[in-house]
Amino acid sequence: MLFYVQVLLRLSKQNHKRISLAVPLISTAVVGHEFGPYDVTIHTERAIAYAKAVGGDESPDYGDSLAPVMVVAAALTELIEDLGLFSGGLQTIHAGQEASWDRPVKIGEKVDAIGRLAANSIRRGNHFATVSVSYKDSTGSEIGTSSTTIIVSGEET
Amino acid sequence: MGDALTGFERHITQDRVDAYAEASGDHNPIHLNEEYASTTQFGTRIAHGMLSLALVTEMLTSAFPNSWHHGGKLKVRFSAPVFPGEIVTTYGEITEIKEEDGQLIVTCTIGCKKPDGTDAVAGQATVPLE
Repeated sequence: MLFYVQVLLRLSKQNHKRISLAVPLISTAVVGHEFGPYDVTIHTERAIAYAKAVGGDESPDYGDSLAPVMVVAAALTELIEDLGLFSGGLQTIHAGQEASWDRPVKIGEKVDAIGRLAANSIRRGNHFATVSVSYKDSTGSEIGTSSTTIIVSGEET
Repeated sequence: MGDALTGFERHITQDRVDAYAEASGDHNPIHLNEEYASTTQFGTRIAHGMLSLALVTEMLTSAFPNSWHHGGKLKVRFSAPVFPGEIVTTYGEITEIKEEDGQLIVTCTIGCKKPDGTDAVAGQATVPLE
């Protein structure tokens, strides 16, 4: 099965497309597995949706920049999809989040997110996984990092 | 030290959750589909955890407008789900100011509380001062 998944992942990377896996990747991925790069460029429409979701009278003025945590959220969505966690029957709990930023990100600025599985263990039938992410601008310079810890239950083992 | 950051209340409506799904791209039905969500351990739809964290970072951006996005760090745990219809409150307090390599660094406890006073999100942030 591991070979099957690895072949599919290789094909996926070669074709720059996602392939749906019958077995969620979190079941087979080993520490060090890399994800992406994901293009997490945030354009105006999504920035407006973010302001609608989060904003209020006292909200700060971001000007033409984004709240960095929005970029983290965009990368997290990609990671969850690649880990196969939108599969039916699985329940994912977002347990913890770390993030750091070196500079603001502009709306529409090209940002790539590259993930790495930093931990993946099973305790009492639940997966505990941590994925670290590096965010890079168009020059390849790192502008931020994040680390997400999730707990996944409901998988048949 | 001991100074409180200016927190705020936010009514987490389903409209906000729907908008956050558009913003983040996270259309997991546990946030959007009541029929599906009723089959989960929560029994109903829940807001994205990152939405609560986003509110906390709004507070940090207001408190440190020139430095939060230039070297700010946070580490939080998501302790409890927020349900659409609830009013949550962000909070923060400065717990330490220290110098590192000639730079003043502020450490704050941060979080977002549910109406019953329990934490939805709680943790720590560090921010370099200008």
